[in-house]
Amino acid sequence: MSRETKTIENVSAGGRPQLMQPTKKESFGRYFFRNYDMYLLMVPALVFVILFHLIPMYGITLAFKDYNLFAADTPWKSIGASPWVGFKYFINVFARSDFKRALTNTLLISFYKIIFIFPIPILFAIFLNEVRSVKFQKGLQLVVYLPHFLSWAVVAGLFVTLLSSTGPVNKMLVDLGFEKVKFMMDNSVFRKVLIFSDGWKEIGWSSIIYFAAIAGLDQECYEAAVVDGASRFQQIWYITLPGLLPTVVMMLIMRMGSIMDAGFGQIFAMYNPTVYDSADIIGTYVYRMGLGKMDFSTGTAVGLFNSIIGLILVLSSNRFAKKATGKSIW
Amino acid sequence: MKERRKRKVTAFDVINITVMCLFGVVTLLPVLQVVAKAFSSEGPVIAGLVSFWPIDPQIDTVLYVLKKPEFGGSFRVSVIVTILGTLIAMLLTVSVAYPLSKPKLRGRKFFLYIFVFVMLFNAGMVPNYLMYRSLKLINTIWALVFSGVFSVFNMFIVKNYFESLPETVEEAAKIDGASNMCTLVQIVLPMSLPVLATVTLFYGVGFWNNYMSGVLYITDASLKPLQQYLYDLITEAMNTIDEAGNIADIDSAMNLTGESVRSATIVVSTVPILILYPFLQKYFVKGMTIGSVKG
Repeated sequence: MSRETKTIENVSAGGRPQLMQPTKKESFGRYFFRNYDMYLLMVPALVFVILFHLIPMYGITLAFKDYNLFAADTPWKSIGASPWVGFKYFINVFARSDFKRALTNTLLISFYKIIFIFPIPILFAIFLNEVRSVKFQKGLQLVVYLPHFLSWAVVAGLFVTLLSSTGPVNKMLVDLGFEKVKFMMDNSVFRKVLIFSDGWKEIGWSSIIYFAAIAGLDQECYEAAVVDGASRFQQIWYITLPGLLPTVVMMLIMRMGSIMDAGFGQIFAMYNPTVYDSADIIGTYVYRMGLGKMDFSTGTAVGLFNSIIGLILVLSSNRFAKKATGKSIW
Repeated sequence: MKERRKRKVTAFDVINITVMCLFGVVTLLPVLQVVAKAFSSEGPVIAGLVSFWPIDPQIDTVLYVLKKPEFGGSFRVSVIVTILGTLIAMLLTVSVAYPLSKPKLRGRKFFLYIFVFVMLFNAGMVPNYLMYRSLKLINTIWALVFSGVFSVFNMFIVKNYFESLPETVEEAAKIDGASNMCTLVQIVLPMSLPVLATVTLFYGVGFWNNYMSGVLYITDASLKPLQQYLYDLITEAMNTIDEAGNIADIDSAMNLTGESVRSATIVVSTVPILILYPFLQKYFVKGMTIGSVKG
């Protein structure tokens, strides 16, 4: 049966084997020659990936070497000329208290963000969906998606101004009879600022995926529920929530995969030396050690540690997602 | 549609709409207070009187920022990097996404693995920095362009879209003797305008908003992109405090750089995004739902 179909296809293609379709027993060389333009199209991106992604991986050896920037004529050649030292830099850095602090902060900030921010877009999508006016829905979406398009530099500027000692928030606190709070300088509140500003920027945007999922639910279920006299809360509880569950599980698993990045772009723009205790994370630590203090080997070692754990987390969460929901990101 | 069932307005509706409105207000207030400061007179700003509405409205601060040569220079750098970067990025992305969208292409799996690997595992900040330094890209516009010019994630969006196109059209073109290249340009691309618009905007916003590459690779003031200029302005005060060892009050130092100047710079550098926002929003939402999660 399948043989017959194939013959018909070939005939429809003018008796000639179709492009890209390898004919049986054709050598790779011939196939390549016949479709050389397809491979040619991939060359620019491949060159780019090799030059800026694959070759730099050789630089990872820095983590195991005593790097001397001036051992050869370019910084890159110096990598080869520097002597091997094994795990020296890993052992050194793991014993440092500021590294432990960075690791703890990374995990803490990530967990706080998951606990306090992850559920809000789900609730937001569910309850905005309950608003009857489509115009109101669209209008509010237009507003809450906006912060996603601002850079962290801009958002840092917004929050520094908002929370400064002369800013509106402190003014309000004073008016209500409270003491002024140094939001950007106080280790006991700075993490809250980080979590709030991250939520402010991304909650609206993250709700899109849940809106899409709600729109895909069967409307007849709701109609049937109404006929049976279900209240709005009952509809949410028994129809919307279960319908959203696969998406929620999927997003949560994927979110767990990126725990090792607690928001480098955000924290780098917002933190300052007074709040290192509560906000210095692995990413900012790598920057300060590697590029700030020019301790390239330590910077690379910490970066590598972070990437490997990150890779393991992403791969396992993807596998887990496949098992749990039958979907994966690639 | 006119005959939508009129429901009774319940307590649930009232509370729900109130909470939703609050959500919108909380989103807007941080933006409003900066706009208010940018358009207020210097006096009320320093005295800390301005909250969410301008006092003594004026546009001198904004004009002052626009006329500053550093601002103009950074703005120009950002525009050039965004246009050049997006153009190159789209060429790279589309040209590699097309062959990879052909399930029958030999060796496809191998190439896909390379790209997925690159997406998941990065050499890290230090090796990348040394690579840029060895290629003599530090303090050039190319450092800003190359650091954002190819995103595997965007490539997968385009590839998945290409895969969803009906095969028959392309086959018909090939029967007529069109080459692969010809099919891509004349048949596939015109059918893919929505996804191309989405990914172009992804790249464009990415380039415009990127301040990190500037921090990593640019020290020459005349080559700093706008977001880095803004970043410097915001962290300047914090760093001077660090060196002096004086951590008493960050805001007294902030006033030196001029809170209203800072606010005006934030406002002005965000205007291009705001102008494009309605388009951005539409295409970004589309981009979130097509191709990102594969079944």
